[in-house]
Amino acid sequence: MIPRRAAVRRLLLFVMLVAWPLTAAAQTKRLVVIKADGLAHGVVEQMVRERNPRTGQSVLPWIERLFYKNGTRLSNFYVRGMSLSGPSWSMLDTGQHLRIKGNVEFDRYTQHSYDYLNFFPFWLGAVAGKYNDMWGAAVLDDLQIPLLLDAYSYDERYQSFQLFQRGKRIDTLSEGVQKRFTTRSARDLVDEWFLGFDIRGLLHEQLERELITTLDDPRARYLDYYTTDFDHATHHNKDHKTHRAALQELDAIIGRIWAAISRTPQAAETALVLVADHGVNSDERFYSQGFNLVHLLGGRAGGGHHVITKRHLMKDYSIKGINPLVPLITTASEESPYLKGKEDDYPTALVDFDGNERASIHLRDSTLNVLQILFGQLQRPDLSPPVRRAATDAFLAVVDRHRPQWQQTLLELREEVAALQRASETLRASIPPPPDRKKGSSRKDHKVEALAETSEQRDERVRRTARLESWTTDVAEYTAYLATLERLLTATPATLAPGAARVEDLIARHAMGERNRVYDLANYVVGTGPSGLVLAADGSLDFEKSFARIDYFALLTNARVRNNVQRGVTNAPVDFTALRIPCSAIATSADAARADTCVWLDSGQDAQALVLGRTGNDGGLLLKYLPVTRLTEAADGAIHFAPTGWRPGLPLKIWEDEQLAVPGGGDRTAWLDGWHGELEWLHAVHRTLYSNAIIGIHEHFHRADWVTPDAASGDEALMRRLRLRQRAIVEPDLVVLANNHWNFDVRGFNPGGNHGSFFRVSTNATLMLTGGERTGIPQGLDVQEPYDTLSFIPTMFALTGQLDANGLPGPALQERGFQPFPGRVIREVLGPASADRSF
Amino acid sequence: MRRPGGKTAGRKGVSALLAAAVCLTTITPGLSAQSRDSSALVSPPPMFRISREPVPGGAELLTVLGRVEGAGDAATTESVPLLSILRDTLDDVDPENDQLRYVWVHGYTTPSAGQRIASAIPFLNRRAGNKDPERDDSVPPAIIDLSDPEHDVWKNVMWIAAQSLLFDPYGVLVKTSVRAFRRNGEDYRKAHIVRALAVLALYEAETGVAPALTPVEMRDIQARLVLAQRPFAGIVNDSYLEEAYKRESADAQDVRGHNWELLRQRCEAEGLYFDPLSMPDGTTTHALVWVARHDVDQTGRRFEKRFLNFASPYGDKRLLDWKGYSETRYFDADGRRVAPDTPGASPVELIPLGLYGLDHPKIPALLIDFRDQNNPKRREVSRRLLNDITRNVLSLSPFGDIHYFLARSVYGFVTGRRGMDINQPSRLRSYAMLKLLLSLDASLNPELSSEIGKLVERVSMNPLQNDGGVEIALAFRSYDVLLAAVREPSGEIAERLKRDRADEFTRIEHGAGAPFIYRLGTVLTAGIYRHREKTPPDSQLARIDLSRRLAYHRRFLEEVVKSTPVVEVGWDIRDIRRSVGFLAEQGKPGDGKNVKLAFRVFERTQDRETRRLCLNGLARAGSPAAREMLARISKSPDVDPDLRALALQAFNAPRGDPMRRAGTVLASSADRQ
Repeated sequence: MIPRRAAVRRLLLFVMLVAWPLTAAAQTKRLVVIKADGLAHGVVEQMVRERNPRTGQSVLPWIERLFYKNGTRLSNFYVRGMSLSGPSWSMLDTGQHLRIKGNVEFDRYTQHSYDYLNFFPFWLGAVAGKYNDMWGAAVLDDLQIPLLLDAYSYDERYQSFQLFQRGKRIDTLSEGVQKRFTTRSARDLVDEWFLGFDIRGLLHEQLERELITTLDDPRARYLDYYTTDFDHATHHNKDHKTHRAALQELDAIIGRIWAAISRTPQAAETALVLVADHGVNSDERFYSQGFNLVHLLGGRAGGGHHVITKRHLMKDYSIKGINPLVPLITTASEESPYLKGKEDDYPTALVDFDGNERASIHLRDSTLNVLQILFGQLQRPDLSPPVRRAATDAFLAVVDRHRPQWQQTLLELREEVAALQRASETLRASIPPPPDRKKGSSRKDHKVEALAETSEQRDERVRRTARLESWTTDVAEYTAYLATLERLLTATPATLAPGAARVEDLIARHAMGERNRVYDLANYVVGTGPSGLVLAADGSLDFEKSFARIDYFALLTNARVRNNVQRGVTNAPVDFTALRIPCSAIATSADAARADTCVWLDSGQDAQALVLGRTGNDGGLLLKYLPVTRLTEAADGAIHFAPTGWRPGLPLKIWEDEQLAVPGGGDRTAWLDGWHGELEWLHAVHRTLYSNAIIGIHEHFHRADWVTPDAASGDEALMRRLRLRQRAIVEPDLVVLANNHWNFDVRGFNPGGNHGSFFRVSTNATLMLTGGERTGIPQGLDVQEPYDTLSFIPTMFALTGQLDANGLPGPALQERGFQPFPGRVIREVLGPASADRSF
Repeated sequence: MRRPGGKTAGRKGVSALLAAAVCLTTITPGLSAQSRDSSALVSPPPMFRISREPVPGGAELLTVLGRVEGAGDAATTESVPLLSILRDTLDDVDPENDQLRYVWVHGYTTPSAGQRIASAIPFLNRRAGNKDPERDDSVPPAIIDLSDPEHDVWKNVMWIAAQSLLFDPYGVLVKTSVRAFRRNGEDYRKAHIVRALAVLALYEAETGVAPALTPVEMRDIQARLVLAQRPFAGIVNDSYLEEAYKRESADAQDVRGHNWELLRQRCEAEGLYFDPLSMPDGTTTHALVWVARHDVDQTGRRFEKRFLNFASPYGDKRLLDWKGYSETRYFDADGRRVAPDTPGASPVELIPLGLYGLDHPKIPALLIDFRDQNNPKRREVSRRLLNDITRNVLSLSPFGDIHYFLARSVYGFVTGRRGMDINQPSRLRSYAMLKLLLSLDASLNPELSSEIGKLVERVSMNPLQNDGGVEIALAFRSYDVLLAAVREPSGEIAERLKRDRADEFTRIEHGAGAPFIYRLGTVLTAGIYRHREKTPPDSQLARIDLSRRLAYHRRFLEEVVKSTPVVEVGWDIRDIRRSVGFLAEQGKPGDGKNVKLAFRVFERTQDRETRRLCLNGLARAGSPAAREMLARISKSPDVDPDLRALALQAFNAPRGDPMRRAGTVLASSADRQ
C-alpha cells in the first residue's frame, strides 16, 4: 500500500504533468547539440569572415549560413571558472555551480585520483562490464546532480563519446572499424593507406553516422556530438592553416548533420546548438612556452619533493608513456633532504598541470613534514639526550597544537565512513544479479537470454556495481587514513623511542594531510636546517633554526628563465598564484568581515589582491576586488596585509585595461572600490584582458553547498557531508596561473596554444544556435550581452519548454532530480516565445 | 631581372659572387631572431618574383626566382632561379584546359660521371666533388612530371624487380653497388623536392595566393611533391591531394613547434642559450645552441646530454681554450637580446655548440657539432650502415626472417619512442632546409654562416651532392639551358610537349595503358612497328582540349559533392551549373562517372536550375544506370512535381536518339525558366 504522503505527492505530480503543456510555449521539441571542445569564439568569428578565393564564400560556409545568417550567436559567452575541459563541461552539462575543479583532482587523505579526461580505463572497464559512467558523471551522481542528458529517457537520447558520458559504446568502436572498410571503394582505401589511416576519424565518422541514423527515430529528443579535434589542433599547431583545416572539418560535420535534420519530419521543431567549453590562447606569432613545475618542485630550490602527477612526463619519450591507463606517476627527487628513496610511500607534492595555463599544486601538510623529520631524527641512536628530549617534546607539542582540528576530522570522518559502510551494504543488496550464462550455453545463447534485462536495467546494474566498488574503496582508504591519524593523536614519548614505531604507523603513507595555510606555504618545512636540530636557550627545540624552509609564493612568482627569445613573451612563467584563505583570519578588514569567500591573488610582494565574495540581500552574489600588498600570515593564523590603491600591475590588470567599462563611464577607481553584483562586474570587465576572471575566481574557489535544498537526516546527511568533504579535500594548496603564452605542460609539449587561465582569449567560448522555423530562434542575431556557462542548461531547457514561467525546472525535470538553476536564461535566443516569461 | 642567356663570362662572375654569397651570407651583424622584427620598419623588397616564358606550341614556363640575401651588389641585384614549372596551356588563356607538366628545381642536375661512379661505391658515404657548371649543357632533369605522377611508381617497381631479378644474384658487390647508386639518387632527388616545397611555401607566404598559379594548381604541385617522397604514392588520386598536403603541412608545423619547445626547455635546464633561426616567412626550421664562455669553467656541473646529443660543455678543455667562432651578445635584465648601446645591457660571450634541424620527428636532429665534426656524421651514418650490412651483406630481410623482423621492430620502436635522431629521411630534409636557410636568412653573422656552410658540406654523405656555391651556379646554368631550350621552336621542350600531347591523345583514344603497349610493340619489333594516330593534329588538340575540360569539370564537381551535403552552401552555384551543363552537353553519353556525378549533385541541391541541368545530363546519358536514377528521381517525394515529371518523361523516352532529344527538351525547358 502506498503511504498517504507519497500518494499525494504522486497526484500533485500527475496534475502538474497534465497541466504543464498549457504553460509551455516553446516549440523546440528536439535538441541537437554539437559540443566542440576548445572552440574559441574569436577564431570562429575570424574565419567565418575569411573568404575562400575559389568560391568567394566563407571558408566556414555552414557555420555562416546556419548560425550567422539563420541563427543566433553569442559574441560574449564565457567560461565561468577555469578554462578547463573537465570543470567547464561539468557546468555546461549540469547548469550548477562548479563541483569539479580540475581535469585531475587528488584526494589529499588517500591520494585517490579523479582523472576526468582519461577515457581508456573507462572503455576497458566498460568492455568488462565494470563501468557505465565516466568518472565525472559518477562524481556528479554521488552529489545527486543530474546531467542534461538525464532530462531525457533512455530512448529519447543519443549521446556521443564525451567526458560526462553514460553507457558503454563498444558497438560504436567495432562498427566504426567495419564501416570504414565497407563504405569506401578499394581505390579510396588504397589512397587513404598512402596518406595514413586516420584512426580518430574512424570513431568520429561512426559517431556522426549513428547520430544521423538516430535522427530518423521520432522518439529521439536529445542528440549530441562531441569533438576534440579543434582543441587538439590548437594545442599542437599555432598556424592559421591548421586551425582553419580543423574548423572546416567541423563546419562540414555541422553541414551534414543539418542536412540530415532537414530531412526529418521534426526539422521545423529541431534546434541545433554549437557550444564550446572554453577558448584557446593560440597566436600564430608565438609558440607557447612550457615551464616545468615538477622539475622546480623536485629540485633543491623547490624543496626536493617527490612529485605525483597523473600524466607521464615527457610522455612521448618514454616506453612507459604508451600505457593508456596512466597510473599515478611518481617523479622521484634526488634532492630530497629527508625522504630520499621513499618516493613510493611519501610523495610530498601532487601536481595537476593538465589544461596547461594553470596548475594545481598540493603540498603535503608542512606539519607532517615537521613530524616526519623529527621522527626520523628521533630514530637516530646518536642523538644527544637533550636534543632527543627537545625533539620529543616538540613532536608532541606539534600534535597537541593540531589536536582539535585532527580530532574533529577523526570523529566526523569516522561517522561518515560508517554511514558509507552501511549504505554500501544496502546498495549491495539492491544490485540484481547479472543474467547467468547456463552451463554449456554458447555466447550467442547468452545474448538471447540477456534480452531479459533491458539496456537501461543493465546500465543501472553496472552503475550500482561500479558505485559499490567506489564506495568500498572509499571506506577502506579512509579507514586506513583514520587509523594512522588516531595513532598519531595518541602518540606518547614511548612511541617515539627508536624502534618503538614505524613512521607509517604515525604518518599515513601517500597522504597529504590538511591543506597548508598561507603561513605554512611561506615557511614550508623541507628538511632540517644546516646545523640539524638546534636547541633554544631554554633547552627546547629552536624551530626557526632547526628546519630549512621555503617560501613558495616567492619561489613561484620570482621564477625566471634565461632564454627569452620571443618578443612579446615575458621571461616570468608565472602570472600569479591564487589560494582560498579563511575570511575569519582577515576580519580586521571591514570588507573581508562581510565576505564568505576570500581568495588571495599573489603576483609578487607588491602586486597582490583579495577577491571577496558574499551573498547580497537579494540572494545574489556580490564581489569585491581589494588591492593589497605584503599579505602574510602569522604562525597563530592572523593574516596581515596593507590595503593599497589602484595602480597598474595588480593581478588581473583591471585598472589599466582600456576595455574596462565602468557603468556610465564614471571614475574607474571609485567604481572598482565598491562591492558589485556579479552581473555588474561581468558587464564592466568582460572585454578586458582577463575578462570575467573575478567571477571565475570566485566560482573556482567557492565551496558550493549541497544542491538539493531539503534537509537530509541520518545516514543520508552523513553521506552528503562526506561528499562535500571529499570535494573540499581535493582543493589544492595553490593554483598557479601562467603568464601569457606560457604553460605548465610537461607531458609532451603544447607549443601551439593552451587554455586553463582566465585570459579572455581562453575563456571566450562559442555558443551558437539555429533551428527550424517553429523553434523561434532569431535569425542573424549577434547577442552582445555577456553570459557564462552557467546559462547554458537553463537556456536549453527554456528553449525546449522544460522550465516553468519563473525559470524553475518543470515537473518532468524535477522528477528527474533537477534543481533550480542559478544561471540566467539567455532570453535573446528564445525569440518571441519568451516574452511572457519572467526568467 | 632575367639573366640573358649565353653570356658565360659575366655569368661566371655572378655565379662566383653568388656562390660566395651562399657561404658568406651576411647581414646585419648583431641582432638575432628575436630582435629582427624591430628592424622591420622599412619593408624589404619582395624576396620572390615570378617570370613567365612562352613556350612554342602553346605552353609557358613559370619560374620562381629568389633574392639571395648576401653581401655585395651581385647578391642584391641578381635573383636566383629556384624552380620552374611547365604549364601546357594549349595556347589559350583559359585555365580549364591547362595541364601542369614538369617541375624543375634549379640546382638539381644530372650528376657528373665521377659523381655517378662514386655514388655506386658501397659505404662511401661522403661527397665526391662538384659538378662543373660550365660543362652542364643538357636540359636539366625535371624533378616530377605532374601530368604523369604514376610514372615514378612504375619506375620504382621496375627498379625493385630489376634489383631482385637481375642484380642481386650477382653477389654482394653488385648488389650493394646498385642499391647505393639508387639510394643516393633518390636522396639527391628528395633533398631537392624538400627544397622545392620550402620555396613554394615561402613564395606562397610572401605573395598570399600565388598570383601566377591558381589555388588548385598550387595545391596540386605541393601535394604531388609531398607524395613524390614516398615510393608508391604517385598513384594517389587527385581527390586526395588537398588532404595529403594539409596533413603534411600540419605535421611539419607540429614537429617544428614540438622541437622548438623541446630544445628551448633542454637549453634552459642545462644553462645554455637557445637561438632559433627562421626562414624569411618566420618559420623556424633550425636552431643554434650556445654556451656562455664564462659558464664553461663550471667543471662540476651535471649535464644531461639526452636530446642535445653532444658532450658536456662544462669543463670541456676544447671550450676552455676555444679559438673558434664566438660572438658577444648583449642582454637586458629580462634576458632579452638587445643592441649593445641599450642602457643596462650586459655582454655575454657565446660559443656555438650545436646546430639543430627542427624537422626531425620527435627530437631536434643535431646537424653540426661545433666541437666534434664527426658526431653528426656518426649519427647520420649509423642507421644507413645498419641497413647496408644487414640487408646487403648479411642478406637479412624483415620479410624473410621472423627473428630479424622482430629485432628490427623492437629496435625501431625503441629508437622511435625514445626519439633518436638517426632517421635518414628527415635528417636529409633538415640538411636541405639548412642550405636554403643559409641562402635566404639574412640575420646570421657572415663568419658564422661561412663556418656553418663549411661544416654542413663536410657532413654531407651523398656523392651526388654539390656544395652550396656550386648549386647556385648550377641553378643559373640549368635555368639558362632550360630557357634556351624553351625559346627554340623545335627545341627539346617544344618536342617534349608534342610527345606528351601525343601520349595524352593516345590515352584518351585508346586507354591509359596504350602508350606503354605501343612503345613495347616498337621495342619488341625492333622499331618496325610504330604507332601513328590517324587523327589530324588539329583534331587531336581539340580532343585533348575537350578531354581536359571534361576532367576539369568532373574533378570540380567531385570536390563539390565530397565537401558538402548542399552544394550551394560553400560553392558558387553558377560554377556548379556550368560544370554540370558542360558534362551534360559534352560528356560521353553513358559515361558512368558523369551519370553518378549528375545524380549526386541533384541529391545535394535545391537549386531548380541545377537540378534541371542534372536531369538533362541523366537524360542524355541514356545508360541503364542513368535511367535507374531518373526513375528514382521521378518517384521521390522530395522533388518538385514538375521536375519529377521531367524525370519521368526522360525515363520513358526510347533509347538512342529520342533519349537525347528528351535531354534537349529538358535543356530547352530549363532555358525557358
